[in-house]
Amino acid sequence: MSLVQRIAALGRGTLELLGSLGRAGVFLLQSSLGIPSREGWYLWLRQMHFVGVMSLAIVLVSGVFIGMVLSLQGYTILVDFGAEEALGQMVALSLLRELAPVVAALLFAGRAGSALTAEIGLMKATEQLSSMEMIGVDPLRRIIAPRLWAGFVSLPLLTVGFSVVGIWGGYLVGVEWLGVFEGAYWSGMQGSVGFFDDVGNGLVKSLVFALVVTWIAVFQGYDLVPTSEGISRATTRTVVYSSLAVLGLDFVLTTLMFGELG
Amino acid sequence: MSDAMLVELEGVRFSRGEKEIFQGVDLRVPRGKITAIMGPSGTGKTTLLKLIGGQLAPDSGSVRIAGQDVHRLPRRELFRLRRRMGMLFQSGALFSDLDVFENVAFPLRVHTDLPEAMVRDVVLMKLEAVGLRGARHLMPAELSGGMLRRVALARAVALDPELILYDEPFVGQDPISMGVLVQLIRKVNQALGLTAIVVSHDIKETLSIADYVYVISDGQVMAHGTPASLDVDRDPRVSQFIHGEPDGPVPFHYPAPDYFSDILAERTGS
Amino acid sequence: MKRSKMMEFGVGLFMLAGILGLVFLGLRVSGLGSGISGDTFTLYADFANIGGLKPRSKVTLAGVQVGQVADVELDREWFEARVTLKLDADLEGQLPRDTTAAILTSGLLGEQYLGLSVGGDPDTLVDGDTIRDTQQALVLEELIQQFVSNMVRE
Repeated sequence: MSLVQRIAALGRGTLELLGSLGRAGVFLLQSSLGIPSREGWYLWLRQMHFVGVMSLAIVLVSGVFIGMVLSLQGYTILVDFGAEEALGQMVALSLLRELAPVVAALLFAGRAGSALTAEIGLMKATEQLSSMEMIGVDPLRRIIAPRLWAGFVSLPLLTVGFSVVGIWGGYLVGVEWLGVFEGAYWSGMQGSVGFFDDVGNGLVKSLVFALVVTWIAVFQGYDLVPTSEGISRATTRTVVYSSLAVLGLDFVLTTLMFGELG
Repeated sequence: MSDAMLVELEGVRFSRGEKEIFQGVDLRVPRGKITAIMGPSGTGKTTLLKLIGGQLAPDSGSVRIAGQDVHRLPRRELFRLRRRMGMLFQSGALFSDLDVFENVAFPLRVHTDLPEAMVRDVVLMKLEAVGLRGARHLMPAELSGGMLRRVALARAVALDPELILYDEPFVGQDPISMGVLVQLIRKVNQALGLTAIVVSHDIKETLSIADYVYVISDGQVMAHGTPASLDVDRDPRVSQFIHGEPDGPVPFHYPAPDYFSDILAERTGS
Repeated sequence: MKRSKMMEFGVGLFMLAGILGLVFLGLRVSGLGSGISGDTFTLYADFANIGGLKPRSKVTLAGVQVGQVADVELDREWFEARVTLKLDADLEGQLPRDTTAAILTSGLLGEQYLGLSVGGDPDTLVDGDTIRDTQQALVLEELIQQFVSNMVRE
């Protein structure tokens, strides 16, 4: 390939990327704006079930295990310094600030995000979206919007659940099994966890992740090439892009939120 | 603009990427008749329906339905216009999360404020017309291909549209369900007095129900006329298509270099 | 439809659980409700060095939490740290005037907190008083430095 061809290919790639970003932006605006109706409420409820309730099991089970592992690892390190009283603090802070928002978002992308992409993609491939348009119903409002809002509400709730069971898992291992003093576990936590600084910032993170992951998932479904190969590719893309976006954004958000705390 | 024509296409050009699909198509669909649009596969017949339904916009030219230019309408008006149309998709395109009854009820629920009892009456009436009243509690996944299309037909006529678009209604059907569909389309048209556009390449079935036929090839209208006049058309391209001959002006072979030299080229390894 | 009722119930339960989880994180984990609740009174204490003491650090008496640090600011005249304490209102008029305040560390590396120990003065501290006798935070580096220089001298 000559240099000119390479440059042309680069330019084409950039234009395509920009075009795709533009489509995604318009898509987000068109589908999230609009007055919710009684019917829209019900559609949202169904998606809350599909996106939120169905992801609950995997998120909670993972949360317990992560809390238990954190506690076990933390204990072996802290006990060398005679600081095992700080176990509760360590478990709670790592969960609230980082692990709960990030891991819950990754699990959510794998469980709910890929399912959303595949479902919408299948609707597109079987012309259901087209036929809805021809019936005179905007699929952005009817199909996309409820899914977008359900994802946006579900992930922060799942993240809270993850933190709670993680802290409980840490308690099981640290206090019940390794014998850290129970009062120290809780009071160390309470002494260092700030509601707005830690719980609040964790929630803000998970809101951002929720928006990004759901947006990527529904857009990949809506924009895909309607063939079976297109659906499988788009599903993969959803998981890959969401994961990268979550991890990258996590770094940016952490710098903004906790950077000055050192 | 003549009142007798419901749909008028004028000089419609449309290209997808580099490929030009339509190079100036003119088409007129008379009110209350069945107009067929025929042509070999890959000539963009489905694309033409999407242009008429306003799901795609032409590069130039206009599509008018009842005097309104479809692609100049604001989004809201376009959706209002679509309530007066029904479309039967190739795959049926039933909503897979709703059962047969709810699928047919869908247009009624979103566009009318009919009380539940009335919705039920209308839905059962439409399902009775396609002979599937007994299947109303089944999910789309439990239906055969022919039944899917019949349900989709019931849904397309639920709001008693003026215009109905059929996208390849006969493709992949066994002879019995093909016959059922042919009969249904004719019956629905007569009973409701609506205008229909049938896109198909199944010649025998389509000619048997159409009042007027357009044959499209290479992005242009190749011929048009009544089924009887096309049957005796002298144009070799038309006659090849209508009588289904394998080779003729539309070549059997995809464009390729000379057969003999192509094979030799591999041998010499150049 | 029975199925949809179940679904509504499930979603409701899911959201309720999320909100309860948030309450748990608020009360049990970040200790919003614990520490000092209800009426408090204010005391001040000046320190040469407060180490890692922060607002919301706890204040204990004989190891029992009796309040928390409300504010830390720099006294521009003496260049000392002025710490504002909020203590349980029950203790107003109970603490002797010669009560001492020391900045202590829980464990070797743990959080720093402010420990009070009582003296024997019959007069007592009331709202707005300042604790005179304070002991600054131990800074690990200074300790090590002292230790090393003592070793060298010997």
